[in-house]
Amino acid sequence: MKKLAVVVALTAALLVPQVPAAAAEPVEVTISEVDLAGPVIASVDVTVTNKSAARLSKLAVTFAGPVGWTVYPETRTVKDAVKPGESVTVAFQIRVPEQRPGFTIRTFTATAAYSGGEVVGTRTQKSGTPLPNLAAAFNNVAVSNESDPTKGNFDNSGNSFSAQRLAEKDVTPGSTVTALGATFTWPGPVGTKDNAVAAGQTFAYSGKGAKLALLGSGAGYAAAGLVKVWYSDGTSTSGSIGFPNWSFQDAGAHGATLVISTTGRNTPAGYANAEYQYRVFANSIPLDPAKTVELITLPANGGLHVFGVAIA
Amino acid sequence: MNPTSSRRTVLGAGLAGVLGAAATGTASATTAAATTAASTTAATTDQTAAAPARRSGQRSMVDVPFTAHETVRIGVIGLGNRGAGMLGGWAAVPGAVVTAVCDIRADRAKAAADRLVRLGKPRPTEYGGSASSYQELVRSSDVDLVYIATPWEFHHEQGKAALLGGKHVGVELPIATELKQLWDLVDTSERTRKHLWLMENCSYGRNELAMLKMAHEGLFGEITNGHGGYLHDLRALLFSDTYYTDAWRRKWHARSIASFYPMHGLAPIAAAMDINRGDRFMTLRATATEPRGLADYRERNIPKTHPSWNEKYINGDLVTCLIGTAKGRILRAEHDVSSPRPYSRINSLAGSRGIFEDYVPVGTTGGRVYLEPDHGGHSWRDFAPYRKEYDHWLWKKIGDDAANNGGHGGMDYVLQWRIVQQMRAGLVPDIDVYDSAAWCAPVPLSVQSLKNDGRPVDVPDFTRGRWAELRLGLDSRETDMPPTS
Repeated sequence: MKKLAVVVALTAALLVPQVPAAAAEPVEVTISEVDLAGPVIASVDVTVTNKSAARLSKLAVTFAGPVGWTVYPETRTVKDAVKPGESVTVAFQIRVPEQRPGFTIRTFTATAAYSGGEVVGTRTQKSGTPLPNLAAAFNNVAVSNESDPTKGNFDNSGNSFSAQRLAEKDVTPGSTVTALGATFTWPGPVGTKDNAVAAGQTFAYSGKGAKLALLGSGAGYAAAGLVKVWYSDGTSTSGSIGFPNWSFQDAGAHGATLVISTTGRNTPAGYANAEYQYRVFANSIPLDPAKTVELITLPANGGLHVFGVAIA
Repeated sequence: MNPTSSRRTVLGAGLAGVLGAAATGTASATTAAATTAASTTAATTDQTAAAPARRSGQRSMVDVPFTAHETVRIGVIGLGNRGAGMLGGWAAVPGAVVTAVCDIRADRAKAAADRLVRLGKPRPTEYGGSASSYQELVRSSDVDLVYIATPWEFHHEQGKAALLGGKHVGVELPIATELKQLWDLVDTSERTRKHLWLMENCSYGRNELAMLKMAHEGLFGEITNGHGGYLHDLRALLFSDTYYTDAWRRKWHARSIASFYPMHGLAPIAAAMDINRGDRFMTLRATATEPRGLADYRERNIPKTHPSWNEKYINGDLVTCLIGTAKGRILRAEHDVSSPRPYSRINSLAGSRGIFEDYVPVGTTGGRVYLEPDHGGHSWRDFAPYRKEYDHWLWKKIGDDAANNGGHGGMDYVLQWRIVQQMRAGLVPDIDVYDSAAWCAPVPLSVQSLKNDGRPVDVPDFTRGRWAELRLGLDSRETDMPPTS
């Protein structure tokens, strides 16, 4: 079997007195670059650096890639304590699949668990070109004309918002919708792809502000997930976001705000269900106002439909 | 801190090696748990499930590449339906030449040679006329690869002889039918430094390879279970007086209770679970229905004067193997060739984020998927766009050739082309002797389990401990066929 090397990097701090580890010790975990030109079995080094004045004992390092990517071994234990100022590097193998066309973001995580604490380090590698804007991610038709209802399929059962009922609320293609202090442009034309079913798409978006707002609605009762924002300085932030079901769910579910409420909906057989309201919501996550947003990654949840994004 | 520079500049190689012993790796917590569970629940453990000791000088064939051959010279043993059916494919692969043909019936060897000549190929040497004719072929100096397509009972003997004759060997299903024979082929491959593999054409099926690539991408999430098998109504062929020479295949139904032939469905699922490349089979338990199908068919269709009326069928119509893996996954492998039903190899793979099912009337591929986050609403979706996106490079490169040159939807030719390419380019084989032994182990292990009321039996680790290492296999990197001179 191939030897997987574990190397302790000695430093000038060898004479630091040994004291018991404490939970608040600063420990850094870094992950080496992963060869993403698969299919390949890639070698990855995880380095744990003890920046504290105490020894790290009973160190176990766990490494993981994207879901479904096999790692060997999943955990490595380090027999000897890591002295203050020293680093230990442990090696893993990971099965990297064929690189996908388009834009991908691969996140790798390493966890260093030791006596009295645990530290997680991550590495994100991007490849390809992201979608130019949210519209490029549109993959669903949510709004149809009552005269041509079969064009729509918001809920995967052939039902959709009625363009005529939305117009009664002054919501038409190109019109402005305001919510949570943000201004959105309602998509269109009617009967064309007008929203993104969230599937982890990443698209370019530039701006600065205190929060990122999304306009959308839910198909199903669990239309929520993690939206991630990438700043131009390479850092990122993320937050959970969700929309209530377009009907039959509390309008405040997932912390959302009701924005548009229409009467009835289009079904494959025509306009119907006038006894119910079909709704559009807004929700947001906080941003660092000092940083410039560069990319946005939608959650991966097939029930979550996004009509627009805006910074407020 | 730069981990690479710190390792190289601060420590010498020797010290790094010493310190390497200070760290230990664990494949996963579930591995240990599964190992323990397997050890404690296996009610019966065949003596040969334990790895026999290697002889002095015997080494693993894991990740051993072929020695590059400018031309691959092929000897074919067995020219019945399967052997003769593969002949044209072998002859069509660039850089391959069939130099020898053999059958116990000399007229078949001659007919095969005549056919190759009609195809414009060189006339191969003919071997035939006796049960030992193959021994001359495996000793011949103008053969690099022996392809064996004889009845199952001859596979071990002929495969071993070919290895000992210094040839690489591709064996039709199964490579052997007894556990000690499987170990013998592993050991003989390791001693002779020649590769032997199962000619599993279904491992190269277009749907199967796309499923494999989707699994590696993570589309199914963490894979938990898979199902495959060989469900093929062979009753008419089994009772044919001409299709299977001397009715060899039907006679197996009268002398064994084994799951004879589940590999066509099992192997692709095993590949998607990285069996022997990160996971391994641990235990197997089998069930079998009553053997009703062949007797009922005979009663309704076969004259009382037919020799089959002297036979009593003991092989269950549906033999099912449940195989547990070191990572806690479950595979179900079915075998049924004696019941009225449409064809299926099942081909189903499922995990924490989705599922693929083959052999369903959806779309153009016959496959359907349900994958989060792409899908919701509890309804299946067509596999076609996924197969297009995750199409294997082999099908993109030679799919048209495969359609023109091979049977079984082209996957026969893809298999043949890839074998020749690997031998000519000096690559590591996609399927090695360890994969082959593991995939064929259900044949003898199903018997062991059934004889013990379906209790689990241990599955040997034919890699002798190297199963956990990650290795590429069927999900390979694209390479070209070396040019022919």
